Amino acid sequence: MSLAKSLGLLGRRAATSAVLARGLRNQTSGFGTSMFGQQEAAEPSTSTFSALESRLNLKFKDSGLMEQVCTHRSYEQGRGVSNERLVWLGKRVLNLHVGEHLQKTYPNLPPETLQDVQHANFGLMGLAEVAKHFGMQPAMRWTPVVKEAPQVGLTKVLGKSVQALIGAVYQDQGDAAAKRFIAKHIVHSKPVDVENVMVIKNPKLMLRALCKRKELQYPVARILKETGRFTSSPVFIVGIFTGTRMVGMGYGSSIKMAEFRAAKDALLKHYAKEIKGIDIGEEEDGDFTFVPQENDGAKVGITGHA
Amino acid sequence: MATFRLPTVLNEVIRAHNNQLIRPIKPKNGVNSFVFPCRKMVFNYCERSGSSKAMMEYLQKEALEFAKGNPQIEVIVQPRPSKHPLIRAFYTNDKQKTKTVRKCSIEEIPEVVKSLRDHSGHTLRRWNKYVLSDTPSVRGIFSPFHVHQEHKITDQKPQKQ
Repeated sequence: MSLAKSLGLLGRRAATSAVLARGLRNQTSGFGTSMFGQQEAAEPSTSTFSALESRLNLKFKDSGLMEQVCTHRSYEQGRGVSNERLVWLGKRVLNLHVGEHLQKTYPNLPPETLQDVQHANFGLMGLAEVAKHFGMQPAMRWTPVVKEAPQVGLTKVLGKSVQALIGAVYQDQGDAAAKRFIAKHIVHSKPVDVENVMVIKNPKLMLRALCKRKELQYPVARILKETGRFTSSPVFIVGIFTGTRMVGMGYGSSIKMAEFRAAKDALLKHYAKEIKGIDIGEEEDGDFTFVPQENDGAKVGITGHA
Repeated sequence: MATFRLPTVLNEVIRAHNNQLIRPIKPKNGVNSFVFPCRKMVFNYCERSGSSKAMMEYLQKEALEFAKGNPQIEVIVQPRPSKHPLIRAFYTNDKQKTKTVRKCSIEEIPEVVKSLRDHSGHTLRRWNKYVLSDTPSVRGIFSPFHVHQEHKITDQKPQKQ
């Protein structure tokens, strides 16, 4: 106890440094009582929140904001201040900026697919992974729906806490800072998965329709390479052509399967075409008019030209 | 004791949740942004025992400086009577590392602290591959030792013909 007092930190809110001295009396709440001492203290404290802030390179003007971000409304039956309103705001800010990034990066995707991509990668499940990556899980304050199963609902709570965090950044530091934070930590920290989101059940049919729409020649599949045709393990490499230009290539152990994959490849090359180098965090927001990206003339995939 | 069963609605929610074909990809630390892995360090000491002597000195003199220099780490000082002094580090990937500093000298403790701070949290394992990639090259990574004789780089000057 004397050492803790001499450190002079008992009962003082840690502002710049996340130091907390726990006296003997608080030992029962920590791991002093457990047999092997492997448990962590369950309740997050002011030092947890300030450490979390520093880890994300944030300096909130409002010192209690991080605590609010991490408090779900189920905590203490919603008696204290919770992150509900920050979640509401942050969700919209996040979806706006992420949506803007996706819109610019994938010029050929239809809006329904853009929505699916956003939901799959940056919905609550994706954001829960981001929260775990930030180390927000030990800082969360919430009450599970079923006490015996504390993992049920955790994903949702974690995802919402990230939304609340974005809302807090927006509220505290403005739109530009929020945009930079999203670009840095959420959008660019992992590859965006588009291929698995697009459900293509009949690629050959889809490709024929696409070619008709673009006024291209009817797509024809041709075997490029093959081996082991009458054996137990044949390999066919098939290319799919509109006229003389190949738009997709696929492999398979049967010709039909290879054609299937080639058509799927062609569709993905068109729809999931990615424009690289877009960084929403580095743009200067002079005015808010959105200028659509122009193709740089490179004829990649299926275009109107044969 | 009866086995615990979740209510039916929740069961269905979980089943639907597990049936989702899309698994979210985990963010990679270091790609475009870096989140410091060590999030918390707990220093345990005993007031009376002799093995904690250097630890107490460290806590009185250098611990505050360490905490101020590392605002991203939550530093906790907690007495643990009649036990050897410990430093326990917690990482963002839900892993922990504990090091006992019993009878360590005052010079050794900052080194222990530094090693715990710099650790990523992942368990030490042997990596049999020297490059891990999402897009591995089809033909393997270039090795200058496995090239054709004519392309080998040697000290000898090419013979003029």
